[in-house]
Amino acid sequence: MKKGVVLLLFISLITVLSFAGVNIEFWHYWDGANGDKLEELVETFNEAHPDITIEPIFIPGSSIVTKIQTASLSGRTPALAISDIIKISLIAETGQLVDLKPFIAKDDYNIDDFYEELLVYGQRDNQLVSLPVSSSNLGLFWNKRLFKEAGLDPEKPPKTWEELVEYSEQIKEKTGKIGYELYTQGGEGTTWQWQVFLWGAGGEFLDPVTNYQKAAFNSEAGRKALQFWYDLIHEYEVSSISPWGLFGRGEAAMVMDGSWMVQFFPMQVDFELGAAVFPHPEDGVPATNMGGEQIFVFNKSEEEKQAAWEFIKWFTGKDIQIEWDKATGFIPVKKSVANDDGYVAYIKNTKRLLLPFVESGKYANARPPINEYPEISDIFSKEILKALHDRMSVEEALESAEALVNDILK
Amino acid sequence: MRNLTSKSGSLTPAFFRKEQTAAFLLLFPSILILGVFNIYPAFYSIVLSFFEWNGFSPDIPFVGIENYKTLFTNGVFYNSLLVTIIYSVVVTFGSLIIGLLVAVALDRDIKGKTLYRILYFLPVVTPTVASGVVWKYLFDPTQGIINTMLSYINIQGPAWLNDSAWALFSVSIVGIWKRIGFCMIIYLAALQGVSANLYEAARIDGATEFNILKSIKIPLLSPATLFLTITGFIDSFRIFDLVYVMTNGGPVDETDVLGLMLYRNGFEYFKLGYASSIAVGIFGILLILSFVQWKFTQGGEAY
Repeated sequence: MKKGVVLLLFISLITVLSFAGVNIEFWHYWDGANGDKLEELVETFNEAHPDITIEPIFIPGSSIVTKIQTASLSGRTPALAISDIIKISLIAETGQLVDLKPFIAKDDYNIDDFYEELLVYGQRDNQLVSLPVSSSNLGLFWNKRLFKEAGLDPEKPPKTWEELVEYSEQIKEKTGKIGYELYTQGGEGTTWQWQVFLWGAGGEFLDPVTNYQKAAFNSEAGRKALQFWYDLIHEYEVSSISPWGLFGRGEAAMVMDGSWMVQFFPMQVDFELGAAVFPHPEDGVPATNMGGEQIFVFNKSEEEKQAAWEFIKWFTGKDIQIEWDKATGFIPVKKSVANDDGYVAYIKNTKRLLLPFVESGKYANARPPINEYPEISDIFSKEILKALHDRMSVEEALESAEALVNDILK
Repeated sequence: MRNLTSKSGSLTPAFFRKEQTAAFLLLFPSILILGVFNIYPAFYSIVLSFFEWNGFSPDIPFVGIENYKTLFTNGVFYNSLLVTIIYSVVVTFGSLIIGLLVAVALDRDIKGKTLYRILYFLPVVTPTVASGVVWKYLFDPTQGIINTMLSYINIQGPAWLNDSAWALFSVSIVGIWKRIGFCMIIYLAALQGVSANLYEAARIDGATEFNILKSIKIPLLSPATLFLTITGFIDSFRIFDLVYVMTNGGPVDETDVLGLMLYRNGFEYFKLGYASSIAVGIFGILLILSFVQWKFTQGGEAY
């Protein structure tokens, strides 16, 4: 009996001792102010948890996926890493990501506080392999100076597509500038902006009912969205096919761009900026697309996994997230943060331009969380550009894209 | 080895053996590096072209010739092939003709000819990515130098890289610009080999400069022309970086060269097997071109 107690004590001592020195790597690609804030937060965490040491390692965003790929082949993965939401399903293919559900259940962690649209990326069979840590979305920016020159109210952005056209035509007529700048350079840049129009018109990109295994954009909403783009260029002639960046140079009055530009535009431009939730059709719904990062754990020893989870739990906690979002300009991933009075007051007072993006959080749709997405997005953008370049009609372009996309998914 | 231990019975065998050992030892580092970083990956990509793999998943199913079937029944491949061929033809012959004219012009005693030669050769040694970025600015439809200049003489320039009809041509201009210097150097070297007596005789017979160019220089330069044609094709067939920086294949797919298609499938879509089959395709085409070169130049002897 006594022996048993000693043994038990011994075992627990060993566990505590071995737990004492858990040292794990955290691969990320946040640079600049974001990277500084992360380092600071990690230091706070390490101080508060003497038994865990998190070591943040910066890897450039362009190579983190490749780096994770080679690491997973050679068995040198970090315990913790982040990636762009759109790459998670691919990384999960390694089969080395840890299911977070048991941890969530054990700690009674409130998962419902996250925006649901963000949680689709971590879903894999019946598992949840990643959690959102940062988010960004798309909205409308407008040039107040050009609005004034065109005789428009500089404080009143368009709320609907109809107003977008109306304002653009007036801008074109009075100032000769482009009314609305479209992203016509192809690839994901074109596709993800177009999706905002599609969702605004009430459509879906891939069919969620079939688990995103079928194209759904060749619908009435899809035709409406693409026809609208076509008309902006060819019918109303308020947009053009040109290199990206007209808005930043003051050559276009309005543009769709990301919440991160709240940081960058003011440094680039010499005019007063406005930001708003992106316009939607009169009979449609407000919508936006979102980007961002999610955090995940690689299969390691139990102690390392537990330590990684402790960090995730801490980092995604409401207070830390408020601190993180305030410092970085990311959009809240949790409803409790977006609705927090202190946070909202802070944004209103110091980062007013960010406010519409925080509000858009609830209108955010998720791009399909599937491996084939990058290819689908690329091919899709090519087909709709064919319509914009007048190589085929709107209907033909969507039909052709549908056939090509379904072919990839079959 | 057996042949080397010859019947002559001299000291040669031992000597040869020693020399071979030394040669092997000296070559070993380069063989090792080439083997690990060039030869092994090249063969591995041939193997990989028969599999389907996204680079992440632990299962790598064998799919036989499925990737090649997809490749050869795919409109995207034929578009890329056509774009690459057009680009190669325009760049190869464009740079060849301009390079010849520049070489002929600089093959005489004019003031500052070394400076001119250096200026024409500079683009060859300028990094492709840097050239691409700079040219992209020059081609900008509203703020670029080219269209600004054109507007002075009341010409509304095209949108260059953003215009379906002009994009491939615009990229080719940069390709030509980068290659003129190389063609010039080869032609200059070849012109040194043409005897001055021929020109003199022609002039006595009353030939004009144009006659000399047409009837003496061009025919005598034909081995250089052949060499430049073939290397031109091989070089421009592998084009990737310039297009990647300038248009990324656009507008739509007007400048989507094979190298870009390969890159996209391998590193954006993570379809490593399919990307490998494209690589093998490009390799096959280049192999044929090299064979043609070998054949026409009698194993490189003619040049």
